[in-house]
Amino acid sequence: MSYILKPGQQVRTETSGMTCEVSKFLGGGGQGEVYAAVVGGKAVALKWYYPASATAEQRAALETLAAMGAPSPKFLWPSELASASSVSDYGYIMPLREARYRSIVDMMKRRIEPSFRALATAGLELAHSFLQLHARGLCYRDISFGNAFFDPHTGEVLICDNDNVTVDTRARGAVYGTPRFMAPEIVRGDAVPSAQTDLFSLSVLLFYMFMMHHPLEGKREAAIRCLDLPAMRKLYGTEPLFIFDPTDDANAPDATHQKNATIFWSIYPKFLRELFTKAFTEGLSDPQHGRVRESNWRAVMVRLRDSIIYCGHCKAENFYDADTLAATVSSRGQNAGACWSCKRQLSLPPRIRIARSEVMLNHDAHLFPHHVDDERRYDFGQALAEVTRHPTEPNVWGLKNLSRQTWSATTARGELKDVAPGRSVTLARGTRINFGRAEGEITF
Amino acid sequence: MSMRPGGELATRPLHFIWMADCSGSMAVDGKIQSLNTAIKEAIPNMQTVADENPNAQVLVRAIKFSSGAQWHVSQPTEVADFKWDDLTAEGVTDMGRALSLVAEQLAIPPMTERALPPVLVLISDGQPTDDYASGLKAVMEQPWGRKAVRIAIAIGEDADTEVLQRFIGNPELKPLQANNPESLVKYIKWVSTAVLKSASSPASQTLDSATPGANVPIPVLPESASSSAADDVW
Repeated sequence: MSYILKPGQQVRTETSGMTCEVSKFLGGGGQGEVYAAVVGGKAVALKWYYPASATAEQRAALETLAAMGAPSPKFLWPSELASASSVSDYGYIMPLREARYRSIVDMMKRRIEPSFRALATAGLELAHSFLQLHARGLCYRDISFGNAFFDPHTGEVLICDNDNVTVDTRARGAVYGTPRFMAPEIVRGDAVPSAQTDLFSLSVLLFYMFMMHHPLEGKREAAIRCLDLPAMRKLYGTEPLFIFDPTDDANAPDATHQKNATIFWSIYPKFLRELFTKAFTEGLSDPQHGRVRESNWRAVMVRLRDSIIYCGHCKAENFYDADTLAATVSSRGQNAGACWSCKRQLSLPPRIRIARSEVMLNHDAHLFPHHVDDERRYDFGQALAEVTRHPTEPNVWGLKNLSRQTWSATTARGELKDVAPGRSVTLARGTRINFGRAEGEITF
Repeated sequence: MSMRPGGELATRPLHFIWMADCSGSMAVDGKIQSLNTAIKEAIPNMQTVADENPNAQVLVRAIKFSSGAQWHVSQPTEVADFKWDDLTAEGVTDMGRALSLVAEQLAIPPMTERALPPVLVLISDGQPTDDYASGLKAVMEQPWGRKAVRIAIAIGEDADTEVLQRFIGNPELKPLQANNPESLVKYIKWVSTAVLKSASSPASQTLDSATPGANVPIPVLPESASSSAADDVW
């Protein structure tokens, strides 16, 4: 097979003037080919454009992006251009993607099986990363399956193919997006990609990840014989209707062809379902003001992660849904419902309520600065607390202080105790813990 | 225990059918060997495209035509399992017979009601020797025939591009003229990757990538292969 560049071939980086030696071909796309390469002893990725894509506009866009720098290390961002006298056109250097990051296609084909926790982390990181990108006035233009990767064990994400990123609304770049991910107004030809249309694509990507299905592929899709361009234009452009639209069930999921949507939808808490509903009702009809913003997704992803509980029988991850529980309170307490996996009754672990958060205190739970310090929201770097088991009494669980500050705890009987760093406080109903900037209360 | 419930993302079948001319003239200047090589080279690329595509189940078949026509790979085969046995060249160019065979398979059943647009690739180096028009009519009478992405590759200067153009049925889309083994490899790779992708889960759309009049956006070729006589090495 003929590739543009060959192993051992050398090109030159344009800014630093270093030699870049091609190691091997990694993959081809619509615009060019990507190679593993070495610059100054360091392994990098080198993308080289096909002649049709190696335009002056693309070159100018890359120079701008390289000069701006990456919004965060989550972006495999162009660092500099590369060219060679022996080859026509040009390419650019970017960081190499580590093998532990897998494509979302692998998840769609069930070749990787992330936990719900990893999935919520991936959702959080995607929302956070695109917020950073948009905050710089940039527009990604092509959020889709192929452009985001994640570690199925941790949920850490990487965003690739950043060469189509443009300054929002200013540029009329070539890429209009990927069908199924494009905002309806782009499909209809009424708009060009912008940060607002990126928000729609992000919602679709998140829906795919959480529901293993497309939000607009309901009965209407099932009824289409040939899913070609005119059919797609109708489904995703001129007549889009959310499969779980609360006021119109004309496009509800089909029981034969669209099982995933129904299976997953019922597992998630109401607050997640409500945000998806907003994204694909108001978000369809009102592109300017109705779309779910990254900050909304970020908040909901953290809440979702904090809501995970484990089935006491089969250990499957389930979700604590305060909204639904409130409606099912009986004289014997709250009914946590049945496990999606083994169908047996779930029991709730102790929880802690701190300001806007409610965190399930599972055996492996941690609290982060995000939970206890309003000034440090979304800081999940260093854990400040973890659930531990009493060294001699296995039935007693506690919350261990991993921070450098002493907490003060007040038991339900009003006794005040200091919890020094390294010490733990027993998880008992009604115990209040003052973390310094915030106070939490243990509930059962 | 599975970490999460449910199954894979729902897919639709995408039928991809090679229709290869094996007439005697294909033996001249190693054309048939070049075609065999080009298709074998393209298979791994095709497998990669299918592997990266969560929306389609790609199923491949092949027909050969010379004196009469016959299925070369009769069963719709998952692209991961697709193997190419070399074709040999002998006889005349019964293209109409090949089109009729395809038409039979595009009827519902055996085709399913729900699918992605099929991709039909017609490769020929000469003039049809039978009634190609009735074969083409049979294809176009099938809804899946009309919806199919029809691509034609003309090998050498003697191919009947007018017939191939009629098969394509869209004046905006021309038969691909392969005058040397390199351009044949390039075109075969293009249909088995870019076109395949477009028919199922179209890649990033650009402003200039859509073909007017097509129900599937036919991507632009990465670069136009030279068709000058100087490159003619058949």
